[in-house]
Amino acid sequence: MIHSVIIFNTSGIPRLIKFYTPINQSAQAIVTKIYSLISIRSSGSCNFLEAPELDELLGPKYDIEKLRVVYRSYATLHFVFVVDSSESELGILDLIQVFVEALDRAFENVCELDLVFHFDEVHHILAEIIQGGLVLETNLDEIDSAVHQTASARKQSFAAANPLALGVGGVGPRSAGLQTPLGWLTGKLTGVGTR
Amino acid sequence: MATNMRGLTQFIADIRGARVRDLEEKRINKEMANIRKKFKDGNLDGYQKKKYVAKVLYTYILGYKVDVGHMEAVNLISSPKYSEKQIGYLAVTLLMHENSDFLRLVVNSIRKDLDENNEINNCLALHAIANVGGTEMAEALCEDVHRLLISPTSQSMVKKKAALTLLRLYRKHPNVIPAAEWALRIVAIMDDADLGVVLCVTTLVMALAQDHLEPYAVCYQKAVDRLYRLVVEHEYSATYAYYKVPSPWLQVKLLRLLQYYPPSDDPAIRMTLHQVLETIMNNSAEQSRNMQHNNAQRAVLFEAIGLAIHLDTNSPLVSTAAVLLARFISSKETNVRYLGLDTLAHLAARADSLEAIKMHQAHVILSLRDRDISVRRRALDLLYSMCDVDNSEVIVGELLQYLKVADYALREELVLKIAVLTEKYASSYRWYVDTILELISAAGDHVGDEVWYRVVQIITNTKTCKHMPPGLSSNGSSYVLGEYGHLIANEEGHSPIEQLQVLHTKSQFCTAPTRSLLLTTYIKWVNVFPEIKPQLINIFERYRHVLDSELQQRACEFYALASRDPPFPPRESALLSRLNKKHGATEDKRTWVHGGRDVNQDREATKAKRSLTVDKSTNGSIPSAGVSDVLSSLQGLDLSGPSNVTSPTSMASTVLSKPTIAPHVVVGANVDRWFEKLTYSNEGVLYEDVQIQVGIKSRYQGHIGQLAVYMGNKVSAPLTSFTTKVDVDDPEALSITFAKMPATTVAPRSQSQQILHVECKKVFTTPPIMTISFLAGSHQTIALRLPVVLTKFIEPVILGPLDFFERWRIIGGPPREAQSVFPINLTSGGELDRDKQQHVISGQKFSILPDVDPSTNNFVGAGVLHTSIDGKVGCLLRLEPNRDAKLCRITVRSTSEDVVGEVKKLIQKPLSADAAS
Repeated sequence: MIHSVIIFNTSGIPRLIKFYTPINQSAQAIVTKIYSLISIRSSGSCNFLEAPELDELLGPKYDIEKLRVVYRSYATLHFVFVVDSSESELGILDLIQVFVEALDRAFENVCELDLVFHFDEVHHILAEIIQGGLVLETNLDEIDSAVHQTASARKQSFAAANPLALGVGGVGPRSAGLQTPLGWLTGKLTGVGTR
Repeated sequence: MATNMRGLTQFIADIRGARVRDLEEKRINKEMANIRKKFKDGNLDGYQKKKYVAKVLYTYILGYKVDVGHMEAVNLISSPKYSEKQIGYLAVTLLMHENSDFLRLVVNSIRKDLDENNEINNCLALHAIANVGGTEMAEALCEDVHRLLISPTSQSMVKKKAALTLLRLYRKHPNVIPAAEWALRIVAIMDDADLGVVLCVTTLVMALAQDHLEPYAVCYQKAVDRLYRLVVEHEYSATYAYYKVPSPWLQVKLLRLLQYYPPSDDPAIRMTLHQVLETIMNNSAEQSRNMQHNNAQRAVLFEAIGLAIHLDTNSPLVSTAAVLLARFISSKETNVRYLGLDTLAHLAARADSLEAIKMHQAHVILSLRDRDISVRRRALDLLYSMCDVDNSEVIVGELLQYLKVADYALREELVLKIAVLTEKYASSYRWYVDTILELISAAGDHVGDEVWYRVVQIITNTKTCKHMPPGLSSNGSSYVLGEYGHLIANEEGHSPIEQLQVLHTKSQFCTAPTRSLLLTTYIKWVNVFPEIKPQLINIFERYRHVLDSELQQRACEFYALASRDPPFPPRESALLSRLNKKHGATEDKRTWVHGGRDVNQDREATKAKRSLTVDKSTNGSIPSAGVSDVLSSLQGLDLSGPSNVTSPTSMASTVLSKPTIAPHVVVGANVDRWFEKLTYSNEGVLYEDVQIQVGIKSRYQGHIGQLAVYMGNKVSAPLTSFTTKVDVDDPEALSITFAKMPATTVAPRSQSQQILHVECKKVFTTPPIMTISFLAGSHQTIALRLPVVLTKFIEPVILGPLDFFERWRIIGGPPREAQSVFPINLTSGGELDRDKQQHVISGQKFSILPDVDPSTNNFVGAGVLHTSIDGKVGCLLRLEPNRDAKLCRITVRSTSEDVVGEVKKLIQKPLSADAAS
């Protein structure tokens, strides 16, 4: 079972925290600890880390089952999965890749800022891949279509309630796809719609 | 969505703009105060609630503790607008946990969303239960979740989530789920066309099957079949290929599931599985440039090796695997080295012989100095598992060397492992003591209490300790050590009382932990040296009043113990139990643990016991079956089951849980007539209803037979998830196997054929039960008796009158004779039905001997029963029908007492007036 999914950047700032089993400590303490373990490891290192140091941080039942940290780093982000021995380590490594590819499809060239401004959307995407600590779906097409389905339901319900709202429900390019607010922000600040 | 909430976007941007953490905290506190006020004032519309809850969530994700927004999240869940509902659910899954009081408030909203005819709302509700559901939700919602899982109208998306949600509820509250009762219906979904659904259902089955091996046994063949289709036949939708590997996650799950079962006895299944494993291993030979592809390929490979080890450590597959693994442990890729060592440890933990692994001992020892700590850990585990009497001195020596340079993070475990190995493989007492002393002096603080206690325990308990090396106490690296030396040298001029005095004067200068160890030593002396018991009790008495609470408690307990004089606890090792801690009740269990083969075998034994108790507890919910059900349910006892524990309790629990496993045999006049007819003919209909027809064709020769079973689909839709299994009452007496893995679909209006091989080993009385189940809208199960009866294995023999009478006389009367008189029907013309009688007798394979009996109405027959284990058994028969009395007398004589009753019954049944036909 997957016990937690955590994403933090190279400075240790969390971008996504999801625990599937109750924890003993504050989330911050756990992130700090994992960050301290991972940030010192070189890029050629094993992607799996057994961490007895983490046992006391995670819930009481963790001393029953040895947990492993499976992580993978992409650009400025570390994707960290804490799993028990019922999961295949390489399988989890593949799953991280699926998660990243799913994010990439949803945000088109995903970057850290997408995770910041669309933290809710990131959770919705994760929810289509992992449910309750178990792998739900690994097929990118399926994940993508499920994400789109909920996104359009959300838009419809929002548009129905806010017929005058900008950028949704209406026609034109703004309503198509997932618009990042960053475009809106940077557009305002610099006049260039780049990310 | 954040896009639509500018306040939120601004908030996020502000926090990002904060240069230092203090400013960030300030901004957050301000926002939280504002939100708290808004929530308190109330009167917020849905949009505002959504916006504030989203801000709370963002704060949570940054790692801050949040204590507002729970109630608003609860409200948002019941909002008619999806955008608000979605945020509400997100908040519930992030901010709440299973014991949260707020969850009580959402159960009704969740149920409403589950019942709604809108799958995206269904999905939200399922996802929430799967994340935070606890006991209460399990009780309230498990039926609804199950319904969504099995309903033929549920979409794949809903089925997947329902399967995993049900699993969550099972883990939280196993008793609420009638796992055995639902077994066949749930396993049937493993044949779903959507691999996403298959993955989720397999995950569910894996959890349920661990606790209910027998009811879920049919999942074994489903898993093998699916693997075969994925790996060998490449039958899958292209979107489920991950970098050209067909759903590696599903493959891994299936391979893991198979490791929870003992290897199958069915040759068809074994062969198919062998082919699958072989293909996987061959595939791994081709390396690709693509890292993701290699990863996925190896994920499957490592699990396949695990399964091969589980099936048979002596198989050629495992030899191939060992070669691959040896290559892996010197790979350039760290992940591969890591997994190679891990899997070798699995092999070491299971294999009969460690030779193949010992060949690489030098390399494994070298891996202790790998540059990655993860790999070092695996190397340590492997050395621990591969240690035996021959290499123990080398390995323990290496580990001791390594201890001096090892990472602090590794030391405690290392010490524990060295201590266990030293004790387990000690060739001499002296080596043990020397090693342990070296261990203690090298490890210092990393020696846990368990190790201390164990060492003291062993040294005090060893009788042959007359001459310990005198240098022992000077060798002493620690203070306490010297005291243990005294313990041993009890003969060397030190009377117990003198020892005590020496020891106790020193104790004044010791720290509290050392003193408690001393007290422990004293309590052991109470038994070893009864002569100083009064003094010891005196010491305990005094320590009862010290200030240190830990010491005080210990002293009190020891005082009580010493005054009562209990027997000394036997040698039992706390070390091993520390290393192999137990698992939670419904968690996925490991299929093996580190350590030698014996450790794993012990573990299996306790596991079997545990699973039985689990079974019993779930049986509480199953209505108890009547006496006759219990009797009939004895059929198929310990058939490929895990319950090789034959204690009375295990019998009881198997009997009780059985009715749900083997469904009741279909009854009815037609079914009986079809069956009975087939007992004396080789082909015909066995069963028929509006959907399906089952026909039989059979051939027998000697103790061997072949049965072709024809399944005809009479409707215009396919029968999917078609599953057949055969249960035999006594596998020692009768064996039935499928010639090959049966197909899982029967196309509309067509027939599928399955060949069964039958072998009669000993005399048997109960026909095998074939259970057919399939999905045709709903899930249906039909259990039928197969017309495989004892007389099928008789070969007719021709005897002359003299021979016949001589044998008849030699065999004699009861118990080697069975006789009865029974009513018969006459033909419409009022005559004896000679045709039928002849048909039945010769159909049951007796030769009819015409010249033996003087009365022409009577029949006399002879035959030889063939069995492969009990050999051949001669049978003689005499049938005397009486037209006027409408009665018939049957007499069977045989050299075997077991045979006569059964043969008489089988022949009499179709002839008697109350026959089904």
